[in-house]
Amino acid sequence: MALIDIKDLHVSVQGKDILKGISLSIEAGEVHAIMGPNGTGKSTLSNIIAGRDGYDIKSGSVTYDGQDLLAMEPDVRARAGVFLAFQYPVEIPGVSTSAFLKSAINTKRRAEGKPEIDAMEFLKLVKAKNKALGIPDDMIKRPLNVGFSGGEKKRAEVLQMTLLEPRFAVLDETDSGLDIDALKVVSDGVNALRGATRAFLVITHYQRLLNYIVPDHVHVMAGGRIVKSGGKDLAHELEAEGYAKYLAAA
Amino acid sequence: MVATGLLDHPFKEGYAARLGALPGAAHAWIDGLRQTARGILNASGLPGPKNEAWKFTPLGELSKIPFIPAATADDIDVREVPRGVPSIPGAQRVVLVNGVVNTALSDPLDALPGLRIESFKQLLVREPQTLKPFLGGIASSGALPLAALNAAYMADGLVIMTAKNFAGATLHIVSIGAAGAEPLAFHPRNIIALETGARLTVVETHIGLPGQSYLANPVTEISLADNASLRRYVSVAEDADAFHFATTSVALAAHSSFETFHLGLGGAKVRQEVRAALNGAGADCCMNGVYALTAKQHHDLTTVVEHHVPHGTSSQLVKGVVDGQSHGVFQGRIHVARDAQKTDARQLHKALFLSKGPEVDCKPELEIFADDVQCAHGAATGELDREHLFYLMARGLDRDTARALLVAGFLDEAVATISDENVRAVFSDMVNGWLKRRGV
Ligand SMILES: Nc1ncnc2c1ncn2[C@@H]1O[C@H](COP(=O)(O)OP(=O)(O)OP(=O)(O)O)[C@@H](O)[C@H]1O
Ligand SMILES: [Mg+2]
Repeated sequence: MALIDIKDLHVSVQGKDILKGISLSIEAGEVHAIMGPNGTGKSTLSNIIAGRDGYDIKSGSVTYDGQDLLAMEPDVRARAGVFLAFQYPVEIPGVSTSAFLKSAINTKRRAEGKPEIDAMEFLKLVKAKNKALGIPDDMIKRPLNVGFSGGEKKRAEVLQMTLLEPRFAVLDETDSGLDIDALKVVSDGVNALRGATRAFLVITHYQRLLNYIVPDHVHVMAGGRIVKSGGKDLAHELEAEGYAKYLAAA
Repeated sequence: MVATGLLDHPFKEGYAARLGALPGAAHAWIDGLRQTARGILNASGLPGPKNEAWKFTPLGELSKIPFIPAATADDIDVREVPRGVPSIPGAQRVVLVNGVVNTALSDPLDALPGLRIESFKQLLVREPQTLKPFLGGIASSGALPLAALNAAYMADGLVIMTAKNFAGATLHIVSIGAAGAEPLAFHPRNIIALETGARLTVVETHIGLPGQSYLANPVTEISLADNASLRRYVSVAEDADAFHFATTSVALAAHSSFETFHLGLGGAKVRQEVRAALNGAGADCCMNGVYALTAKQHHDLTTVVEHHVPHGTSSQLVKGVVDGQSHGVFQGRIHVARDAQKTDARQLHKALFLSKGPEVDCKPELEIFADDVQCAHGAATGELDREHLFYLMARGLDRDTARALLVAGFLDEAVATISDENVRAVFSDMVNGWLKRRGV
């Protein structure tokens, strides 16, 4: 059984059809990539998976680990192991990054019936992850995402992912805004999590990321549909030829 | 001293007469202050909705409560400091019960050289001339109806004075309101005078014991000489049926600085009015605050900053959360006189609605007569940001935890400005305690 199974998903926003029948099935252990032109519905799909409201889900289903994902509240999804690294993480003034991280980790631990993390253990853990991701320790003392540079925001998203160890993670353009070194570091972070029990959906505009996070499947999304699926070579082809022929098809 | 029926307005019949001879009545100028105040009260009564400065917090209902003077309630015996009073590390504690200094509950008042802490009552009797430069001169009865009410009946309070260049200490003033069988009122008068270059931190905890209603009407007159620096942190968490109207007036000489924070966590009706006059060049005044209201609570934070001379700076950041059927008021007036060039004055008020029931009134007023100034003010009210809530929930936090974190974060932006670390931690705990009790 696939870890996540999206079937014929139709979604509109404010009367406008955005997703026009998406079907996508991802097995545990797999990495899938989605590429596609701007405004085609990639973030919409990510947000639907994470449980953001404001969308009109007309038909279709999303099943995660055998459960009806769309019926779950966003926090329930997260505790069940679903994670979205946002394309545009929001800035939350007044909420310290470290207090938030600790709260998120402990929420997950409680859900798993584990004891809460103590302050020392938490600091040690975050320091180690920060080091791996090239995040200065001072950053987590600041309010959540506030004034973080574009690249810092993306690193912070990946930090959260590595701390929460989700079973299914969607990375929505996590590579945009990252410098070349960061791209490598962040990819290493993702690759370290890869394993037989986890699955990833990586949304990107650039084939370069897929050199580091090598996908099992690549999908082209255009006009609210998946118009082509293939192996990792499809990304190279897209990089060379662009989307023109798929746009015509959509 | 005259005490006719009208003079008793608005309280229980015979209010003034019950007080008997007030301390210091033998001194003509003190008696004069009281007479003038009573004259003002008789002429205009307590402020109602037609009084522009009080239109959001009219006091008509007070006249329906038969308050007696606290001094005449002989059925009250407060033997310990209530549990809700925080302990401030390193602070010397002074306790007032119903506006009267309680030596049994206080630390010794004469412990520090260069710092004088006295009961207002004792100074009124013993050496009133010490008070003359300040009393009634900083908070004038003419302009402030509640200061007039205070002046008419003032009997005790605290006088805090420092020597020149006093290097600093932290005082914790605990004011306990406790009524016996009858509602009572008290009108403490406090004076804080810092000599040139002196530094002082004053923390005030206003708290009440459950029971009959009471009215706390403190007036605090503060004088800061050149280069003096005062930090004053006030929290008000009165009993649910209590009234608290506090007037603070501060006179700032050149290069003095005044940092204040007002935390309003309750009482039936509360107004904290803070007025700062920047009389000397280069003075700095920072007046921040937080209010958190629920049920039918009413809280009014009113500030007035007067820039009279050049190169003054003032900043205000006030944040409120409102729930239930509560009513929050923020009024902030910034006055920049013609001579006060190069003034930098800022003000920001933000209120967060936790439900649809509450009401918030915000009245910023800028009166700027100088041309070379920087002035900015802003106000915003709204609900919790849905995007913020979603982000936190997408990381697994349940809705209540996410909300609590966001509300705490919203308020913390103001609390974080408290420059005294110990006090910041204590105030932060008080705010978080409120949020926990509310289950926000
Ligand atoms: N709240 C909204 N109201 C109206 N239109 C919306 C709303 N949210 C998304 N859309 C529209 O839906 C379409 C898909 O947006 P989406 O963000 O999913 O695109 P995307 O594929 O992620 O694009 P990009 O590559 O630029 O990130 C766009 O045309 C966008 O303008
Ligand atoms: Mg997008």
